[in-house]
Amino acid sequence: MINRMVLQNLLHRPVRTAVSVLAIAIEVGMVMLVVGLSTGMLHESAKRVEGVGADILVQPPGASMFFGLTQSPMPIKIADRLVEIPRVAAVAPVLFQFNSSGGGIGLIYGIDLESFSRVSGGFVYHEGGGFEQPYDIMVDDWYAKANHVKVGQTLHFLNHDFRVSGIVEHGKGARLFIPLETAQDLTVAQGRASIFFVKLTNPGFADDAKAAIGKLLPGYQILPMREYMSMMSSNNLPALQVFISILISVAVTIGFLVIFLSMYTTITERTREIGILKSLGASKAYILEAILREASLLAAMGIVAGFLGTLAVKKLIIASFPTQAVDLTVEWALYAAVLAMAGTLIGAFYPAIRAARLDPVDALGYE
Amino acid sequence: MEPIIITQDLKKVYRLGKVDVPALRGVDLVVQEGEFLAVVGPSGCGKSTLLHILGGLTSPTSGHVLVDGNEFITMNDSDRTRFRRHKIGFVFQRFNLLPTLTARQNIAIAQHIQGNGFNPHRFDAVTDMLGIRPKLDHKPFAMSGGEQQRVAIARAVICEPKILLADEPTGNLDTENSQIVLNMLRELNRSFRQTVLMITHNPEAAAVSDRIVRMRDGRVVSD
Repeated sequence: MINRMVLQNLLHRPVRTAVSVLAIAIEVGMVMLVVGLSTGMLHESAKRVEGVGADILVQPPGASMFFGLTQSPMPIKIADRLVEIPRVAAVAPVLFQFNSSGGGIGLIYGIDLESFSRVSGGFVYHEGGGFEQPYDIMVDDWYAKANHVKVGQTLHFLNHDFRVSGIVEHGKGARLFIPLETAQDLTVAQGRASIFFVKLTNPGFADDAKAAIGKLLPGYQILPMREYMSMMSSNNLPALQVFISILISVAVTIGFLVIFLSMYTTITERTREIGILKSLGASKAYILEAILREASLLAAMGIVAGFLGTLAVKKLIIASFPTQAVDLTVEWALYAAVLAMAGTLIGAFYPAIRAARLDPVDALGYE
Repeated sequence: MEPIIITQDLKKVYRLGKVDVPALRGVDLVVQEGEFLAVVGPSGCGKSTLLHILGGLTSPTSGHVLVDGNEFITMNDSDRTRFRRHKIGFVFQRFNLLPTLTARQNIAIAQHIQGNGFNPHRFDAVTDMLGIRPKLDHKPFAMSGGEQQRVAIARAVICEPKILLADEPTGNLDTENSQIVLNMLRELNRSFRQTVLMITHNPEAAAVSDRIVRMRDGRVVSD
């Protein structure tokens, strides 16, 4: 009976119901999308590095796990010594170039195509092929789709024009690849590399290989791929955690305030109805339960709408920005739902208590 | 037989800001079980306050109020609410039906609040007696005043209360509907020995009762 009364109350005031549901849906959507976008970018970037196929990453001392922030490249001759280490199958030197033009922000990998292919297993070409000239560039298919790039087209990066020689399958480190020597010339870093991607004969030897490389290059950053992947999570980035926490707090606060206002207004409008229930003998607990159930139902509807809306927005984001990753997880969906429900119940609690404590005579006489 | 209502020197004082307003100045009243009593008097004489106290909606300031053997002066809000749930039925001048529920649901909610569950036999008997079956699936806005008041009476008696308290039940009705409602109350009293306490300022409505008590300025002036 309470459920019937609650449902009828919500249907009786459709605009108020819709606004409350929308507020909660936005709260849920904000939580999921903020987390999804930030972790999506992080995970997508990490997955592409994993996609290079290396088992160990070798970087100079003090290097950041965010490749673009690495300074002081290493002598490329280190690669020759790394190849001699037992169980090392192939080594690919790469020079990073941070790019902030021509369709986005990201890294350009300067690669030696042959050694990179030995580590990665080679590129899958959607169109065109490898480098033919020093100022050739390969782009991945997501970048090509997002920026309407075709083979033969001229792109402008790093103050130079590059000819698109090939469009490759995404997932091998960067979205843009230029010849290693060209990258070295552009940065006056001849004979240098930012990182060595090391492939082993068997990934199970990663710890042994790490120890051997560590003896060869003391003080260098030597990361088995599994360690790198575990580091690339928001848990290891305090600033990102703070950012996410602040945005989630804002979203939950907005949801709480909208529900508080909505229920407070509802209680005021329905003062006489509450008086009627009290005249029938409804206890404070009965009134409290009815109002909190109404709030819960609003929250449930808002949560479902939030989930559906988030999926729709994700589709829209990917359609508009194909290179943007949005990581929606069941864990965060549940977390967003719990936050929304908790915020709603807390927001409804004071109005509910107020309603339960109304004097029945005053409530019955309310106009 | 023990009277169902006994009040002795019943007083009620309202505090409005810094001013004490005495609504009841010592009311002595005895009502027998099965009696149909009308309380009449001018506006402000305290008859609604008396009704509210007897129904447990508000507490007395002093004096004794014994309703079905329960002393109200010692009861807190929860006790009075529990008492009202099981022993009292209210009918109001403004009908006071829940606007979002149908007639059926308005009646059923009284049973739900009481906690004894839906009793279909009682429901059918009451709705048949009050002639509201055709309107059970209508919401209040789709019913006339008379129909709404009959639904309100059904809601008030569905749980077989000891006492039916009616606050100006014909105040918002035309003559024809007023007579219908008064006849219903009379029928409930005669057929089911329902104790009815009705407050009214209408002498014709009061004439339906067994006994008339007149109030003025917070006191009973004739009985």
